[in-house]
Amino acid sequence: MKLLLANHSSYPRIGGTRELQQLRRTIAAWERKEANDETLHAAQNALVHAAIKEQEEAGLDVLTDGLIRWYDPISHLAGKMDGIEISGLLRFFDTNSYFRQPVAKAEIQAKNGLTVSEFEFATTATQKPVKAVLTGPYTLARHTIAEHAPYKEIGPLTHAYAEVLAKEISALAARGCQIIQLDEPAILKHRADFPVLQRAVQFLSRHKGKAMLSLAVYFGDPQPLYERLQELPIDMLALDFTYNPKLVERVVALGAQKPLALGLVDGRNTRLEDAAKLAHLIDRILLRVKGEFCHLQPSCGLEYLPRDRAAAKLKLLQQVRAHLKGSK
Amino acid sequence: MSREKLLQLGLDLPLFPVTAVGSFPKPDYLLQGRSDFRKHKITADQLHKLEERATTFWIEQQEELGLDVLVDGEMYRGDMVAYFAENLPGFEQGGLVRSYGNRYYHKPIITGAVEWTRPMTVDWWKFAQNLTQKPVKGMLTGPYTIMDWSFNEHYPDRRATCLALAWVIRREVEALIEAGCKIIQVDEPAMSVRPEELPVLIEGLQAVTQGLSAYFITHACYGAFEHIYPDMLKAPVDNFDLEMSNSDLDMLDLFRKNPFTKDISFGVTDSHSHKIEDVATVRRRVEQALTVLPKEQIWLDPDCGLKTRSVEESIGKLRVIVEAAKSLRS
Ligand SMILES: [Zn+2]
Repeated sequence: MKLLLANHSSYPRIGGTRELQQLRRTIAAWERKEANDETLHAAQNALVHAAIKEQEEAGLDVLTDGLIRWYDPISHLAGKMDGIEISGLLRFFDTNSYFRQPVAKAEIQAKNGLTVSEFEFATTATQKPVKAVLTGPYTLARHTIAEHAPYKEIGPLTHAYAEVLAKEISALAARGCQIIQLDEPAILKHRADFPVLQRAVQFLSRHKGKAMLSLAVYFGDPQPLYERLQELPIDMLALDFTYNPKLVERVVALGAQKPLALGLVDGRNTRLEDAAKLAHLIDRILLRVKGEFCHLQPSCGLEYLPRDRAAAKLKLLQQVRAHLKGSK
Repeated sequence: MSREKLLQLGLDLPLFPVTAVGSFPKPDYLLQGRSDFRKHKITADQLHKLEERATTFWIEQQEELGLDVLVDGEMYRGDMVAYFAENLPGFEQGGLVRSYGNRYYHKPIITGAVEWTRPMTVDWWKFAQNLTQKPVKGMLTGPYTIMDWSFNEHYPDRRATCLALAWVIRREVEALIEAGCKIIQVDEPAMSVRPEELPVLIEGLQAVTQGLSAYFITHACYGAFEHIYPDMLKAPVDNFDLEMSNSDLDMLDLFRKNPFTKDISFGVTDSHSHKIEDVATVRRRVEQALTVLPKEQIWLDPDCGLKTRSVEESIGKLRVIVEAAKSLRS
């Protein structure tokens, strides 16, 4: 059993130095129409490079582009679809950060690609595999105001988003993306909707080509859904261990039928975990997982931390792996 | 019941008392002053003078408009959590994190035991109260919200953090009461972010208020209250100050199923909108409230703090509330 080190998804887009604040200044200038699109893209590209460099320096095996270009996890995707208008700000889960709420006014349809160009840019910046991240159809639907009558029920709205995301997943797989992470934090808050998620994931998994499909749940305790999540047609299950101290024991007791991405390092708090203690837990979990490898990654995207702390959390992943007794 | 408590405290308020939630916009000269102070162009004393001038301005405005319970407007605070973090040993200023879009803020980090060493809001409360005969609310941020909006590297878990902060905030409440403050608002806008933690929030507020003689208000806004109602009524406060208008008075449906048992500061103007409601709109909102709430329980105020509105918009919104209250009383 191999343990690969991965970034979860997002990464801070600001930091203490002048270079790391260039994007903020550029966006402000762009909003005042004092900078053009090209300048904005250059600043975004520079920050993607910086995020990738920090992940490489931390010794990660699977990187992300840090979702540097995303306004938020909802409107960045939904806003690029036909039938959607983007509205006011709402708090995103319990993060004290805000997203812009989509309003479904008409039938939802793909326009252009959503993230393929972002993925392609990131692959030019590193030799390491880049994970593509997509907010899943259920979580998009849960955060959408459905004005279009057929979408009043969560099922049809989720399916409408899934149809667009299926095209995106195919396109990413066709560009050689090896791993696509579908983020579905909302299901932990609405467990009764699991069948809706299940149908969507079944549908999406048929479009993944040669890519691995990972499903990530976070911002809540996955234990009540753990067994049902195991049964989904996915290649990896990413879990947030920070909401329930007993989840490790549960996973050890039940085992895992497929590789896990272990969200044991808290992406929401600056405190650095004890590497030896985490390694001990991981040794016990890995014995119970079927498969060739697991991932160790933060519990959620790292953009909720200041940059220096986010970088420290990534470095911690490597220290944890160094403490493993079992195979590495 | 709470009317009796107010009378015992020596406060005889009219029907539909009008108040403000807490913050007001800072006048331009104060914004400039804060920026100059950061660049070391003016001294702390000079900044303080500007804060006093702005506080005086807002007390005069509220008096003129005819509010019944006043606030100091928080001219001396940047942010409702950061202000306390900056003044309490045990906190460090953290690096920048994103709030939304291109907006960032410094999120505090608890790196040691948080301790109360001196009053943080009492001098400002006294300053404001000395300017008026009307009662001025003491304004604090609640322990649960300070916990939720800070990183924690010191305490074992969220509950322990919340309770440690609760004892600190309690000291500030005691200091306000000692100074003569009768109405104290402990804001908990994070109240509904983790419904499963409502017992922690309540435990925190208990530690803050238990056995202390004041009329307590807590403010919450823009949350998923359907997950914590009616359990939230167990919080040991006399009055819930709630955003109602931005969410189309949705909560009234909850009150219909389970009666609202406390006083309520009913948000009758939308703090997120530039548009100033007319008196008829405000009246209509109150009339809807009266279909589920006895009139003796209702206070009127804006949905939330007004610091993101302009000075003119803020005054406009307060004016229609006062006018609506007057017409409802007669
Ligand atoms: Zn508020």
